[in-house]
Amino acid sequence: MVDATTRFFEDLDRRGYEPLLAKSSGTLRFDLHEGAHTTHWLLRIDRGRVNVSQEDLEADTVVGASPALFEDLTTGREHGIAALLRGDMTVTGDPRLVVQLERIFPGPPDARGPRRRFKGEVR
Amino acid sequence: MARSSNVRILDGNNFVVSEDTGDIEATPSEPTGLFSLDTRFLSTWVLTVNGERLNALSYDDLQYYEARFFLVPGMATHYIDAKLSIIRERTVGGSFRETISILNHDEKPVDLEVRMEAGSDFADLFQVKDEILNKKGEIYSEVESDRLRLGYRRGNFKRETIISSSAPARYDGQGFAYTIHLEPNEHWDTQVTVQTLALGPGGRDLRMGLRAHGTERLALQHDLEEWVRTAPKVNSEGDRLAATYRRSLIDLAALRFSPLSLGGAALPAAGLPWFMTMFGRDSILTCLQTLPFTPELSKTTLRILAALQGTRFDDFRDEDPGRILHEMRYGETAAFEEQPHSPYYGSVDATPLFVVLLDEYERWTGDVALVKELERESRAALKWADDYADLVGNGYIWYERRNSDTGLENQCWKDSWDSISYRDGTLPPFPRATCEVQGYAYDAKMRAARLARECWDDPEYADQLEREAAELKKRFNRDWWVEDGEYYALALDPDGRQCATLSSNIGHLLWSGIVDHERAEKIAHHLVGPRLFSGWGVRTLAEGEVRYNPIGYHNGTIWPFENSFIAWGLRRYGFADEAATIASGILDAATYFDGRLPEAFGGYPRELTKFPVEYPTACSPQAWSTGTPLLLLRTMLGLEPHEGHLAVEPRLPVGMGRIEVLDIPGRWGKVDAFARGRLDLNH
Repeated sequence: MVDATTRFFEDLDRRGYEPLLAKSSGTLRFDLHEGAHTTHWLLRIDRGRVNVSQEDLEADTVVGASPALFEDLTTGREHGIAALLRGDMTVTGDPRLVVQLERIFPGPPDARGPRRRFKGEVR
Repeated sequence: MARSSNVRILDGNNFVVSEDTGDIEATPSEPTGLFSLDTRFLSTWVLTVNGERLNALSYDDLQYYEARFFLVPGMATHYIDAKLSIIRERTVGGSFRETISILNHDEKPVDLEVRMEAGSDFADLFQVKDEILNKKGEIYSEVESDRLRLGYRRGNFKRETIISSSAPARYDGQGFAYTIHLEPNEHWDTQVTVQTLALGPGGRDLRMGLRAHGTERLALQHDLEEWVRTAPKVNSEGDRLAATYRRSLIDLAALRFSPLSLGGAALPAAGLPWFMTMFGRDSILTCLQTLPFTPELSKTTLRILAALQGTRFDDFRDEDPGRILHEMRYGETAAFEEQPHSPYYGSVDATPLFVVLLDEYERWTGDVALVKELERESRAALKWADDYADLVGNGYIWYERRNSDTGLENQCWKDSWDSISYRDGTLPPFPRATCEVQGYAYDAKMRAARLARECWDDPEYADQLEREAAELKKRFNRDWWVEDGEYYALALDPDGRQCATLSSNIGHLLWSGIVDHERAEKIAHHLVGPRLFSGWGVRTLAEGEVRYNPIGYHNGTIWPFENSFIAWGLRRYGFADEAATIASGILDAATYFDGRLPEAFGGYPRELTKFPVEYPTACSPQAWSTGTPLLLLRTMLGLEPHEGHLAVEPRLPVGMGRIEVLDIPGRWGKVDAFARGRLDLNH
């Protein structure tokens, strides 16, 4: 079974365009460290067009996190900004890219959304 | 809370609140300290000479970022025959710097033991008013040969205060000391630097490279001079209004704040000391007030709020797709999700107001590029108002928090728990809808229609928005009108029952344009009538209502910011006299506070107290109070962008004399406006 992190990046690469990144351009590399092993994901973003690879190349922004935390981010069980403030996720370089990318993570899986008083689907 | 003798200096998110000696001894009732990123980095900072505390002869807060204290040994109760002078000069920028100078006036040499007690509790701003008994992490101090390091660690969360000195000092775990010998007339000084660090693993600071301007004293001074130089000039007869304007302009510079995520651009933070952060509502309303004078603030505010617009459902943060944030915090409680401010989205007015600001900004500046840039976010905001905010399904914006633990109950500007009530004083169930928010929604649709037609090339969307706005206006005037009082209800409950209390909120409705023309005069009369108008301004709740209390936070006090929007609304409907009445009341009040309007003051009748009574825990300077004189100026001068030029239609009260505003920037380049007081308000 493919993990949520891989699925997240593969989905993003397949979509090729993410409207929430339409004002962003630059390269963003995720370094997911586990012991001596580091998995890299490199995003090339050009005004919303996104290309994903696993190259370990220089990037405008480098984000460090554990694979377990990242797995939780891509499934909405953890929150990116809180993780940044806590120091569990680190950023080197331009922080704007990661703040923009964070917005495409899903919300918590158990979120109910607005509590409407009438019949009518919100989502 | 803070005593009036407290001295505050600040630069954006960094600020120092101290006693008038410069000392800091924080307690829950005296929340003094050095703060940065919503964290207290110094809670003890006490200077002694030969073991004695010092006594303040005087202090100057020279600029918003610097202060100077003149001190002598001995406490105030002693007879003072000072043979020593001690001067503390401090600046807050990226770090906190203090120069301590000691002068010996005696004919004999002296030997002195100079000591600074230093410590930090690393309290989160949300905790400073509580006894902190059980910090979850570990507080430590490390003494090095040339510095003292105070720190707090909780998992990967690490905050450090690093203290060093230009003159060699002896450091210990509780401070640092100097032994000095001074000959007659000799003088000694040292510069102490306090750095605040927010460290992640690997030792990188969270704020690396993120400054709107330089943080050295000279850079701060240059930046302030530039800020004042590029803003319009205001001259007034008697100089009172001009002085208030200058005070506001400087406070606005001080309140500029660079969020971590915007690469150094600045927007107005809400206010000192509790709200030195980004607030959707406060930042937008402040921008609306200051647009004619400092339009750049609006551009950055719109961009940052757009960049952090909600994208998903998150019940803890009350986040929905399209929703504009309420509040962002950087402290420990936000980091560990003990508070939801990372960011928190629990407000229902920021989202329509975002669209209102975008349109108003374009009308002044002609910056079509930004309107195009933010088209997607504007549409998402409008969709949020129609879909996710309509919890009852009857075409209004409602609120009910999903975070029932730490979320806000009332998600309108009057956000205290008891601000919304029925006439009998009881509180309605949730969801609730307040009137002013429906006005904002109407205005947002009308303004977005113009943007859709003129900038987004979507006339169909424009037609749709205008149709929806017209329906909303009709519906609103049917459902919210209180027949027996002839005003609009404060709120509706989910069954459509009115909270038929008379409140200041009706003034916002004029500004938004949702009031039927034949009803506007009634509203204007209420606003300057004896139940709402105190002589200084419009009370949040009318005298005679069950919950009315002249010092009730949202139930009777007068909020300068709100009055500036009410005055703007009155002028919009042609009530220039009433607008001028409110404007001159608030501007008169400002002179009692040296031109710096507080967050709120008491609703007591003007003839009773003769001076405005400051609300006990009012925040100052506060951004939207700071913006108030600017919007009142705009209102009295009748400044209005009109077909590419600036229309000026002054209606000033007689006592105001002559006013000139020079170099008003906009799509017209720069123009001047002149006015003379001609309105007799006593007729």
